[in-house]
Amino acid sequence: MDSLRGALAVVLCLNLCMPAAAAGPAPTANSAAASRPSYSSPELQGDARILHALDRFTFGPRPGDVEAVRAMGLEAWFERQLHPANIDEADLDARLAQYPAMQWSVEDLLLRIPSNAIVRQAMKGRIEIPRRGALHAVYEDAIYRLQARQAEKKEKNAGASASPAAPAGEGTTMIGARGMSEDPGAEGNPGMAMGANPVAGMDANSGGVASAAAPVPDDPQAMALAAQMDALDDDPASDAILGLTPEQRVLKLEAMRPAEFEDFLKSLRPAQRAKLTADMVPALREAVDDLENPERLVVQELMAERLTRDIYSNAQLQEVMTDFWLNHFNIYLRKNEQMPYYLVSFERDAVRPRALGKFEDLLEAVAHSPAMLLYLDNAESVGPDSLAAERAKMAAWRRPAKQRQDPPGINENYARELMELHTLGVNGGYTQADVIQVARVLTGWTVDRPQFGGGYVFNPNRHEPGTKKVLGKKIKGNGEMEGRELLHMLATRPATAHFLSRELAERFVSDNPPQSIVDRMAKTYMASGGDISTVLTTLFRSPEFWSKDAYRAKVKTPIEFVVSAVRASDANVENYMPLVNAVRAMGMPLYECIPPSGYRWDAATWVSTGALVDRMNFALNLSANRLPGITVQWQPQTADTTAADEGIPTAQSEEARLEPLLLPGGASATTRAAALDEFARQSAQESAAMRPVLAGRPMLRANSRQAVLARERQDQLLAGLLIGSPDFQRR
Amino acid sequence: MVLTRRFFLHRGALAVAGTAALPNFLVRSVLAEAEGAPGQRLVVIFQRGAADGLNVVVPYREKNYYAMRPTIAIPQKQVIDLDGFFGLHPSLTPFKPLYDQGHLAIVHAAGSPDMSRSHFDAQDYMESGTPGIKNTSDGWLNRALQAEDACHRMGHDEEHTAFRALALGAEVPLTLAGKISAIALNNVNGFTVAGRGPAPSPAAEAFEAMYADSGDRIFHAAGDETFEAVKMLRAADPAQYAPAAGANYPNSEFGASMRQIAQLLKANLGVEAAFTDVTGWDTHVNQGGVNGQLANRLSDFSASLAAFWRDLGDQAENVTLATMSEFGRTAHENGTGGTDHGHANAMFVLGGQVKGGKVYGRWPGLGNAQLNQGRDLALTTDYRAVLGELVTRTLGAENLEMVFPGARLQREQFLWLV
Repeated sequence: MDSLRGALAVVLCLNLCMPAAAAGPAPTANSAAASRPSYSSPELQGDARILHALDRFTFGPRPGDVEAVRAMGLEAWFERQLHPANIDEADLDARLAQYPAMQWSVEDLLLRIPSNAIVRQAMKGRIEIPRRGALHAVYEDAIYRLQARQAEKKEKNAGASASPAAPAGEGTTMIGARGMSEDPGAEGNPGMAMGANPVAGMDANSGGVASAAAPVPDDPQAMALAAQMDALDDDPASDAILGLTPEQRVLKLEAMRPAEFEDFLKSLRPAQRAKLTADMVPALREAVDDLENPERLVVQELMAERLTRDIYSNAQLQEVMTDFWLNHFNIYLRKNEQMPYYLVSFERDAVRPRALGKFEDLLEAVAHSPAMLLYLDNAESVGPDSLAAERAKMAAWRRPAKQRQDPPGINENYARELMELHTLGVNGGYTQADVIQVARVLTGWTVDRPQFGGGYVFNPNRHEPGTKKVLGKKIKGNGEMEGRELLHMLATRPATAHFLSRELAERFVSDNPPQSIVDRMAKTYMASGGDISTVLTTLFRSPEFWSKDAYRAKVKTPIEFVVSAVRASDANVENYMPLVNAVRAMGMPLYECIPPSGYRWDAATWVSTGALVDRMNFALNLSANRLPGITVQWQPQTADTTAADEGIPTAQSEEARLEPLLLPGGASATTRAAALDEFARQSAQESAAMRPVLAGRPMLRANSRQAVLARERQDQLLAGLLIGSPDFQRR
Repeated sequence: MVLTRRFFLHRGALAVAGTAALPNFLVRSVLAEAEGAPGQRLVVIFQRGAADGLNVVVPYREKNYYAMRPTIAIPQKQVIDLDGFFGLHPSLTPFKPLYDQGHLAIVHAAGSPDMSRSHFDAQDYMESGTPGIKNTSDGWLNRALQAEDACHRMGHDEEHTAFRALALGAEVPLTLAGKISAIALNNVNGFTVAGRGPAPSPAAEAFEAMYADSGDRIFHAAGDETFEAVKMLRAADPAQYAPAAGANYPNSEFGASMRQIAQLLKANLGVEAAFTDVTGWDTHVNQGGVNGQLANRLSDFSASLAAFWRDLGDQAENVTLATMSEFGRTAHENGTGGTDHGHANAMFVLGGQVKGGKVYGRWPGLGNAQLNQGRDLALTTDYRAVLGELVTRTLGAENLEMVFPGARLQREQFLWLV
């Protein structure tokens, strides 16, 4: 791997970019390029500049993007990306309308799509179960499932105690196994259980479920047999329900007793389950999912919304930066049962609106977010000399010695990561003593009734009194304002400017960005009061960014690979779970990076043997429509006569058509040759197979159904090979 | 491609005998003669998040232990006694027979000498094997394999398989990163391109040609490794694998990783060094005592390792396993029923060659004055001394300065636990 890392800087893919530069239109005297002085390292020219910008400031070009940017002008395009409010998002908005619940407040989400913690509260009578209606059914069903699972667990434990090999409660308590610190009160929990595979039963990532593309058998006997088999499988009861109108269907499901509803769900085959909600408007579909598994609904919509934006938003830079900050301020989804709910708000209300604004605003918003306060335990931190600690001590002495608990105290977790990861960086010049002082400053920053989705609150009783000293500077005792003073201090330190600039340069320029560009960005940061858009503009205007050394120097992370593949394919995604599972398999599960450091951006982390296998398989499955709910179309959607006019497509002509769509910078000669060889072999097999059908006809009918299908299959393979190629792994 | 078992060729015939035919006692005596005995494999487990060593291997005779941990201490009556001073957490029951049989050793108050309390720095330091130095880009275990090669340069077949350095996980960890290419895989059964048939699919062949001819050095190298590994694994037919009788792996991520490491070791694919990690040790809040969060982690941990040991059967003779965590946790419990980032920790060493049944290392004590910076278990054994001994005595790496540059490890620092 060492040699690989070294090679990153060396491998310049000159062979990859040269054809594009040579073949593209003569450098269209891009205004910026023309006015810029020449630098010792050769600068990108012409369309290569547009591609480079698209590779870095978006999740990868879609077909037509290069032409659109060329028409608009690169500078104007970048300027527009910095101001996402002016960008038309009609397509995205239509897609986001699929997730009405994602607009709710955290309290509403928790109440209407209850977490297991809420369901347990309801079971114990601590919160009132809605008397009637849809929510009544949601709670009834959830309580039923929870009780069934508890009974099962009890039985299992009773059995397990006899066999020492099985740790007690393994099946349920280990479910959140990857958690840094799990909810101790958490009992068996279906939402968590989905952690390993949040869409069990809905996805066939490994391929083979190409039902959408399955050819209709034209043998009447076979069809009759299939119908008989279906009739055998079918339960008239479920058929009756599936035959209702969507509204009636939801009412019917809500009216079922919990046991009846569970049995009904179990009786459905996957295709029937899909049919159950396929024709429903989003709110009704959510209502059914809520009945089935509330917490899973929240997690799935959180992830689907994120990928929807990454793929379809026209404000790509805003989404790239949102992704960047979500990683910078990483939070682990399964820290506790409320976290998925809080993450909806964290991303929507704290991060995305500030992704291109002032860093200090973003830092403040994160520091006030229940998600971060809970993830890094500040919500539990109590000043040792605070009123709350004194009271707890008094209360402890009134209890019998055996029940006495240690008084609550300080927790350093957030304080440390705030400096190490969020602002100054690990070499930012702070000490362990500073960590403790910062933790004291932030005592009292907590969350109001977190189990019910409450917001940030400052609790003065928990706040440590007195003056603190951080990084040599005194912070006078002043309650909540101490924290604001601290955040301002951290956001405006030169160490923070450098730390953030380097991280941005690693994301946008290269794994080892030149110090000169980092310094220039840091200078802009300090001069602009930490304005992220201004810092990005400096990056955009830096020669280091446009140097040929930087072109395609970055290896795509799994999220970048998957999203760019979907964008390049112009795929229509109706089910995001295959994509969620793909990035998980490649080692980058969404919202599930456990440590607060987030994922790394470098090639060494993401180029490995196992990951390559996953990438190649994903490419083939995506391009051949083997990911359920995701459709790609490789044959042009023109009137059927043109194909005949143009004659039979050859391997070369098909490759020449698909390559610019998927690899607008051009494929390397080796990639093209390997893909063409395979394509030619497949074509030979296809035409051999078709010969009997076509025998005796004067002319091969290029637009016959069989021929179109055969071409589509060949295109699928060719596209899969291009997406899985080494060339597509870079940006 | 035929599975050549090149691994055996360069290791000599003895290894074949050792894994199958000879009685264990005989193998042990033969192997004892030479350092870096043939066919030895090293398995490394990283407990990410900083495990609380004081509640894992409990110094239950220390009065101050109970004073500092009023709600989370393990009561004397409930520890699994080891030697009258230390006892295992009750969730580590599966470790007791391994300890009693002399296969499991413990090194207490061990760890990285660096004082960082950052998870990320401390993990990087521990994995790179260069505490305090940030820019090391390769890992100690990779360098140990390089050092092994340096010793075998004369007169041996130098071929190794793509599985020589193996990580169970989605990516190669820093521990295994370096000049010798390492393979990372999540799931043995899913490790195939475009279908699971007995022969490579046409698409797989096209990809193979594409990567083999690629001018992109990074992906060219990764592609070579990938396709070699895929072929070897196909030949080994992992779908047919069932763990040995009695090897009951927990249904957890760590259990699955250990099961697959055992599977790959037993398939004779040429694995020499294997790595996996297990998370969930960062117990700042409500870590629990006899029961609770940490207890659950330990149940999974010990059951997985015990199943692994059982699964290996006779091959356990040739396997040495070591565990580590980036640092320990504070000796005092904190205000939220947990513990914060500390310093020294406990390591486990398990193996056929291990002189187990003993807690190694000098015990620094838990008196207030004996604590590191007044808050943590002090460090008396550099983890590199433990690992240095293991790589010398098992892999046969002699140049320890290459494995742990700057550590100036002397053999006098060895604990002689293998």
